[in-house]
Amino acid sequence: MARGIATAGLPPPRSTWDAINPARLLGELSETRYWMYLLLLPSALLITAIVLFPTAYGFRLSVQEMRLNRPDLGTGFVAFKHYARMLSDPIFWLALRNTAVWVTTSVLIEFLVGLVAALALNRNLPGTKVFAVLILLPYFLPNVVAGNMWALMLDSRIGVINDLLVRFGLLGGYKAWFADPSTAMGGAILVEAWHSFPFFTLLIMAGLKGIPADLYKAADIDGAGPLAQLRFITLPMLRTIIAAAVILRVIGLVNSPDLLLILTQGGPGRATEVLSLYAFQSAYQDFNFGYAGALSVVMFVLLMLFAWAYIRLSKVNQD
Amino acid sequence: MTTNFDRRSLLKLGGGALAASALLPRAALAASTSINYWHTFTSQSEVAGLGEVMKLFAAAHPDIAVTPENIPNPEFMAKITAAVASGSRPNVTSVASERFQDLLAMGALIDITDRIAKWERRSDFDDKRFIPITKDGKTYGVPAFTFVDWMYYRKDWFADAGIAPPTTLEEMRQAAIKLTDASKGRYGFGLRGGPGGQNFVVNMMEAFGSPVKKPDGSIGLERDKVVQALDFYSGLLVKDHAVPPSAAADGFQQIISGFQTGQTAMIWHHTGSYQDIASKLKPGVEFGTFPIPAGPAARVARLSYAYNCIAKEENADASWEWVKFWGEPDAAVAFLEKTGYFPASTIAAADKRITENEMYKAAAETLGFGLPQPSFPGAAGWAQNVVLPALQQILTGQATPDQAADQIIAGLAAAIA
Repeated sequence: MARGIATAGLPPPRSTWDAINPARLLGELSETRYWMYLLLLPSALLITAIVLFPTAYGFRLSVQEMRLNRPDLGTGFVAFKHYARMLSDPIFWLALRNTAVWVTTSVLIEFLVGLVAALALNRNLPGTKVFAVLILLPYFLPNVVAGNMWALMLDSRIGVINDLLVRFGLLGGYKAWFADPSTAMGGAILVEAWHSFPFFTLLIMAGLKGIPADLYKAADIDGAGPLAQLRFITLPMLRTIIAAAVILRVIGLVNSPDLLLILTQGGPGRATEVLSLYAFQSAYQDFNFGYAGALSVVMFVLLMLFAWAYIRLSKVNQD
Repeated sequence: MTTNFDRRSLLKLGGGALAASALLPRAALAASTSINYWHTFTSQSEVAGLGEVMKLFAAAHPDIAVTPENIPNPEFMAKITAAVASGSRPNVTSVASERFQDLLAMGALIDITDRIAKWERRSDFDDKRFIPITKDGKTYGVPAFTFVDWMYYRKDWFADAGIAPPTTLEEMRQAAIKLTDASKGRYGFGLRGGPGGQNFVVNMMEAFGSPVKKPDGSIGLERDKVVQALDFYSGLLVKDHAVPPSAAADGFQQIISGFQTGQTAMIWHHTGSYQDIASKLKPGVEFGTFPIPAGPAARVARLSYAYNCIAKEENADASWEWVKFWGEPDAAVAFLEKTGYFPASTIAAADKRITENEMYKAAAETLGFGLPQPSFPGAAGWAQNVVLPALQQILTGQATPDQAADQIIAGLAAAIA
């Protein structure tokens, strides 16, 4: 059928060979609108193989029985059994709440500190380049290194933070930050914020370079102070970058349990249990890949909803 | 100077090299067989012990190259699960007995029953050593060393206070209370409520008369006894204040360093930490050891084994040489001397370097009454993800022993359902 469409307007084949000559057929095809799809095919296959297939496989796992240490249960289709279990699983709801606290607070702190750092570095004062490198250093540390380093610094026996706080009279005695449910999440959030605020600094700095200086000069003439300039020029001009940074960071935080795994393992009790950690434990400690798959699907859906809602609310697409 | 090779001279050179290679002795060409070995040794003494065994093995088997790969204990199950799923499993892996059922169920281990039956050192090992690594008549590993649970105590502090090493849990509690002086940062007992602390809770429940499973495989936990056990164990912190306030987050490193630095008077661990402690405190003078005290219903000290198992068929003969080498008395004693881990072989354990050492008396005594760790598919996950958080919740005031007991029993029911 394609050939029929393709040959319209072209000279008819002069011989039988000409009619089946692949080079000629390809040439004819390149003149049609189907050529575009043919060119896209390799990319589409690649994306299917490395993105869509694993995602679809994850969805399939979530409706399957898959307990690696219980081969007697088989690997059959269980429909929404795991999702139904989730509804009555108190750990799931606790982890969902903790995830909201962990992600919201971390992103907020990282954004604010990152913004302040970027604004300071953007002033091009003497020594700015050195400070820029220093500020970005935490982000270059792998999570494992950062986590273990902070675990040592906050240790209740040998931790330098406790020592300093006691010496300055801010603390009566050494405190086990990760042994107390009221401070464990806070401690972990501070470590996370320290580690990842440079991500915001980097992106916001890049955005600041793109804001025309004329806007600030005009605002100066109109008598706008630094806060007004921040509110009416800087932040609106950075809206797209901030939206991208927030979405990327939220995705990273929701999906990565590594820092909490090192610092608290979800404890004490379940004070720092988040969804990604719960999914990890379900998969690799309970070997229940079906339930872990269902938890991952829920996280996936929540992230999609968040990204959609955030883009709509921040009106990024209206620019 | 430039040398130009034409095609003909290049062919001559290649042909000559090929002919020369045929004249070389076969041994010179035979590449040594390489195997990799996954283990969870992390402390300095453990790494030194492994190094010592590898040195002896290299001398005995110069044709086999062993590449050790450290997998930190908390990550071990995740890594091996991924390796099994992706087909990148190691040649040999160390397997703690409580993990055997899970690993076997996921098909991670190779049956070596026939190899063991033909092994010349099989009779050095008591049959009981193989029970935890055998299922349906098939054996999947050779015991490398033994984890013998015991207590370390500050001998000098006990002497100053006029207290004898406790023989019951209640005596242990009283000693812990007496030796606690929070104003000096000194506590009677180093309770492990952080990573790895779950097994002590399981032991405590059994000591109070509530084993995890009955012989018929059904749930053995009795609520009242579980509550009593949790109340007693957590009470050391929440009622008696005889353990460091950081207990809910204290893992291996914290309890060991707490004992080494004079923060705690007693800790419950196994012989494997002996050399680490002896590196900071004088054995027999500053610290001593005693067998695990008896509970109201039972005296529960674990005798568990670390096994070496073959995880893939490739180079299985070389893997088997490495696996069985750990049963050689010289290797076992060398490992003990560097670490404190007890040999699993009866012959090696009878070595006078062990029997004549006063500090190992408690371990030798424990060999007589020690019990294996409960092992069933899902045991490790249940202990780690249900029992430990439940204990932590009591320690941090988030739950009562009754609430924690309910979580533990419900969690077990879900794990074996």
